[in-house]
Amino acid sequence: MSHERLTQARPFLTLGLVVAAWLVVPVAIKSFFRASFFEFTAPVGVIASYARDLQQYWTLRLHSESELIEAGRDLARLNASYALSVQQNTELEAEVGRLENLLRLPSHPDYRSEPARVMRRDFSGWWQRLEIRKGKNFGIPVGAPVVFTGGVVGRVTEVHAYTSVVELISSPNLRLAATLEGDTRPISFQGGINPTFGPARAEIEFVPLDIYASDLMPKRLVTSGLGGVFPAGLLLGTVTKVEPSTDGLFKTGEVQLDPRLSDLTEVTVLVPLNTE
Amino acid sequence: MFRALVIFLTLALLWALVAQVNHELADYHLYLFTGGLTITYAALVLPQRDGLAAVVLAGLLADANSPVAFGTHTLLFAAAHTITFNARDRVPRDETMARVIVALLANLALFLVFSFTQIGRLPSPASAWPRLIFDLICSQVFLALVAPWFFALQARVIALAGPGRDSLA
Repeated sequence: MSHERLTQARPFLTLGLVVAAWLVVPVAIKSFFRASFFEFTAPVGVIASYARDLQQYWTLRLHSESELIEAGRDLARLNASYALSVQQNTELEAEVGRLENLLRLPSHPDYRSEPARVMRRDFSGWWQRLEIRKGKNFGIPVGAPVVFTGGVVGRVTEVHAYTSVVELISSPNLRLAATLEGDTRPISFQGGINPTFGPARAEIEFVPLDIYASDLMPKRLVTSGLGGVFPAGLLLGTVTKVEPSTDGLFKTGEVQLDPRLSDLTEVTVLVPLNTE
Repeated sequence: MFRALVIFLTLALLWALVAQVNHELADYHLYLFTGGLTITYAALVLPQRDGLAAVVLAGLLADANSPVAFGTHTLLFAAAHTITFNARDRVPRDETMARVIVALLANLALFLVFSFTQIGRLPSPASAWPRLIFDLICSQVFLALVAPWFFALQARVIALAGPGRDSLA
């Protein structure tokens, strides 16, 4: 009888041993296992990503020459307008530098832009992440801001040999300081709930009481520059709802994020130049 | 132990395929979870040591690719494997339909337990449930569709690897 009970309990004893062993394993060994298993799976994502790029290449090859000529013409016009913007930007940067010297202000941090292809999107109800095809081999640091044409994408949370993981601004794990465009008071921003088939949303807290926003009168939310990770003025989303919080001291609100966040194929990592 | 390694490779293949499906589904804000499928064959067919080893390795793989405390998937999969292994003599485990039902039940339990471990981090946990329930329904449908193929693949791989003493395969 006791032998039978022991036989029945053996699987649970084994499980108990596994759990006990896991609890006593040093953190360094766990970190080694984590990195090893990630690198073991990384080639799968990279190969699939290159296969998708190849597929897109062959799809683009099907376009006619006249379509390419039209696209080239449009691109030339865009390039001309961007060249003008670059000139204006250079002049403005010089002006900012002169004012910084004159007022003895600390200079803005400089960044190097590192474009990277998205190799895997991981958008669950628990977290939202991207894996990109650049890592230590391109000098990507942990914590670097990631942007795209629509504003902020997120922040680099893990860097591996030739891939990196980006936590999206829609992820509840990401918090940062934001401001409304034209306002300097900081607001707490946190990724929120991502409904199925709908655009991602985020939440804001500690909104001053004199701020009003609605669907008909939305306000743009940008990064504040506080905290030193994200440069100031990058678009986060649009505030479409604010209401008084339970304590009555501030307001809380809802932010509509860019719907393109969930189908990004390329992003830009802003690598800080002065890392000290 | 060779069988554990072989089964782990099939589980790694499953993870890679599901990751690609999830990549494509990201645009619709859908996510498939197949933890139940990871543990079912190993728990119903393999000896405990081999099955547990394969499941633990698959858990480590899932943990390495998720922003959770390292070991969350591993310990959940190990616990689900142990419970299923303990109950396997009470189910017709050589029938595909029974295996699919076990996989669905295990997936349901794992998804709910995993959600409860993660939901505390969300700003408003209650409002996350509609999304999570929709993901769960889609995951169950997907699992029911691919489970017979995946069990057949695992059985074939085990047959190629050589028969074991306690194996049904």
